[in-house]
Amino acid sequence: MIVTENLCKRFNRVEAVKDLNLNVRSGTVFGFVGENGAGKTTTLSILATLMLPTSGRAYVAGAEVTTDAALVRKLIGYMPDQFGVYDDLTVKEYLAFYGTAYGVSHGDIEKRTKELLAMVNLSDKVDFYVNTLSKGMQQRLGLARSLMHDPPVLILDEPASGLDPRSRIEMREIIKSLRERQKTVLISSHILPELAEMCDEIGVIQGGALVACAGVEVVNARVQGQRQLQVEVLSGGVQLAHYLASRQHISDVISFDDEHVEVLFSGSQEDQVELIHELAVAGYSLKSVHEVGASLEELFLRLTRESDEGQPVSKMA
Amino acid sequence: MWSVWWQRIGNFLSNPLLRKELRQRMRSLRTVLAVSLYLIVIGAVAFTFMYVNVQGQTLLLQPTRTAELFTFLSYLQLALISFVTPGIASGVISGERERQTLPVLLTTPLSPWSVIFTKWMTSISFLVLLILMTFPLYSIVFLFGGVVPSQVLAVFGLQFMTLGAIASISIFWSTIVQRTGWSTVLSYATVAAVFIGGSVVGYLFDTIAAHSPDQTIWVDLGTVAYTINPIYMQASLEASLGFITPAFHNSIVASVFTTVQLHNLMSAPSWLIYATIYILGSFLLLVICAWRLRPGTFTITQKRLLRWLLR
Repeated sequence: MIVTENLCKRFNRVEAVKDLNLNVRSGTVFGFVGENGAGKTTTLSILATLMLPTSGRAYVAGAEVTTDAALVRKLIGYMPDQFGVYDDLTVKEYLAFYGTAYGVSHGDIEKRTKELLAMVNLSDKVDFYVNTLSKGMQQRLGLARSLMHDPPVLILDEPASGLDPRSRIEMREIIKSLRERQKTVLISSHILPELAEMCDEIGVIQGGALVACAGVEVVNARVQGQRQLQVEVLSGGVQLAHYLASRQHISDVISFDDEHVEVLFSGSQEDQVELIHELAVAGYSLKSVHEVGASLEELFLRLTRESDEGQPVSKMA
Repeated sequence: MWSVWWQRIGNFLSNPLLRKELRQRMRSLRTVLAVSLYLIVIGAVAFTFMYVNVQGQTLLLQPTRTAELFTFLSYLQLALISFVTPGIASGVISGERERQTLPVLLTTPLSPWSVIFTKWMTSISFLVLLILMTFPLYSIVFLFGGVVPSQVLAVFGLQFMTLGAIASISIFWSTIVQRTGWSTVLSYATVAAVFIGGSVVGYLFDTIAAHSPDQTIWVDLGTVAYTINPIYMQASLEASLGFITPAFHNSIVASVFTTVQLHNLMSAPSWLIYATIYILGSFLLLVICAWRLRPGTFTITQKRLLRWLLR
C-alpha cells in the first residue's frame, strides 16, 4: 500500500533520507521509529505530498507521490506532528470544512461527523470552539479530521507527542481501533514501546536510512527480557569480554576495556546470580555487576541487526 | 456559454475555504466594531465638512463644494485602503504557517491557486464591505448635486483596482517570507515605495527635465513614475471628471493637479499603463504565490511539459 524505492531527500549538505526502501502492506499498522532528526517527518512529508524527494520514488496505493500528487492527497489522511486549529470555528464547522474540501457530500459530512466524534470521544464538544479544546482533545479532533473523507491510508506523525499519559493511552486505543476499520496506517514515534503496543510491523530509521524492520511479535519477543549489564573488574576486561561472549544468556558484548565490559543479557535474576558465581569461580576479580539503561530502540536495533546478518554484530566467538 | 460561467461562479462560491474564511472574518466582534467605527468617523468627517461649508444653512450648499467633499472623502478612502489592506492581507499565508494549519490545508485536494485566490478574495472582502457601506454617505453628496453616480463608480473602480493590487503585494510577501511581522513590514514598505517613492522619483525626474537640454526622456520617465502612483491617478480621474475647483489651489493639492495636467495623466496611455500594471501585476504575483505555496509545482510542471514534448 505504501512503497518507497531508494527514496532520498537532501537539504543542502544534509542528507535527511538515504535510499529508503519501505513496504507497508495493506491493512497493517506500521510503526516508524527513530530519534529526533532521524528522517521520520521528512519521509512522511514526502508521502503526504508536502515535499519532493531529491531522488527515488514513493507510491501510495499505486499512485506516485510526485506525478499523481492530487490522487495521493485524496487517498491519504495526514496528521502532522505539530498542527494548529482555526480560531472562531466550532468542532462541527471545523470537520465540515475539511469534509467539503475533500468533496464529501453534505449528508455524509453530518453522518461522519457524528460517527468520528463518537470514535474520538468528543461527541459532547460538537458545538465548542476548537481553540477552546485541550491539547489532547485537539489531537483527537485532528485524527477525526484526517478520517473525514474515509481515506484508505493514514499517515500520522507522532500523534501522541506532547500529550499527558492519559491522553496518550486514549490516542493509542483510538489508533488500535483503526485496524478494525481496515486502514493502512503509517505512524511515527520516537518511543518504541508505545508503537509496539499498536503496530503490526516496526521499522527503525537512523540517519535517514531504514536500519531494521520486523513484525511486532519479533520486536516484543526480542526486546522483552533483554537487559544491559555492566561488569566491573579490577583488571583483565579484555579476557572477560571473550569469556562472557561464550556464556549462556549473553546475546551480545556491547563494549569493553580493561576494567569494564557491557553485555546484553537475556536471562533471569537467578541466571544473573549464577553467572556472577561462574565469573568468581573462573578467577575474575569482580568489583560490581549492575544493570545499565539502554533504550528499547537500541536493544531492538542491535538484536534486529543480529538477526539480519545471521550472527551477532559484536558477539565474539 | 453563460451556463458554464454561472456554474464556475457557483463552484467558486461553494469553495469551502471561501466560506470558512468569510465566516471566521465576519463573525468576530472585531469586524463589527471596525465597521461601526469607520462609518462613525467617515460620517462625522462628512457632516463636519458640510456644516462648516454651509454654516448651518443646508440650502446654501453649492455643487462645487459637494465635489470638494467627494474628493476629500475619496482620498480618505484611498488612505484607508493603503493603510488597512497590508494589515489584513500580509498575514494570510504566513499566519497559516505560524498557526501550523498550512501543511494540513496543503494535503487537501484544494489547489494552491484556489487557496491563494480565495485568500486574496477574503482579504479584500472586508475593505470592499467598508467601501460599499459608505454608499449612503455618498448619497448625501448626490442630494446636493455636483457629483453623479457614474463618477462615484469610476472613482470606486480605481480604488478597487488599487485595493486588489495592494492585497496581492501583501499576499506575495506573506507567501515568500516565513513570519507575519516581516511580511507586514515589507508590505507597508512596498506600498510606501509606490505612494511616496513614486512621487519623489517623479519629482526628481521633473527637476532633472527642467535643467536638461533633452527633456523628453526625463518627462516620460516622470510620467511613468506618476502613472503607477494611485494618488496621481485618482487626481487625474477627478480632474477628468471636472472636480478641480479653486478651493483646491493650496500648495500640495495644486501641485498634484498641476502634475496631472503637465504629464497628461488623464490620457488613455496613462490609464492603460496603470490598469496593465495593477491588474496583470496582481495576477502575476498571485500566480507566483500559488507556485511558491506548494514546493515542486514548477518542477512537476517542467517534467510534465518535457514528457509531453518528448511524446
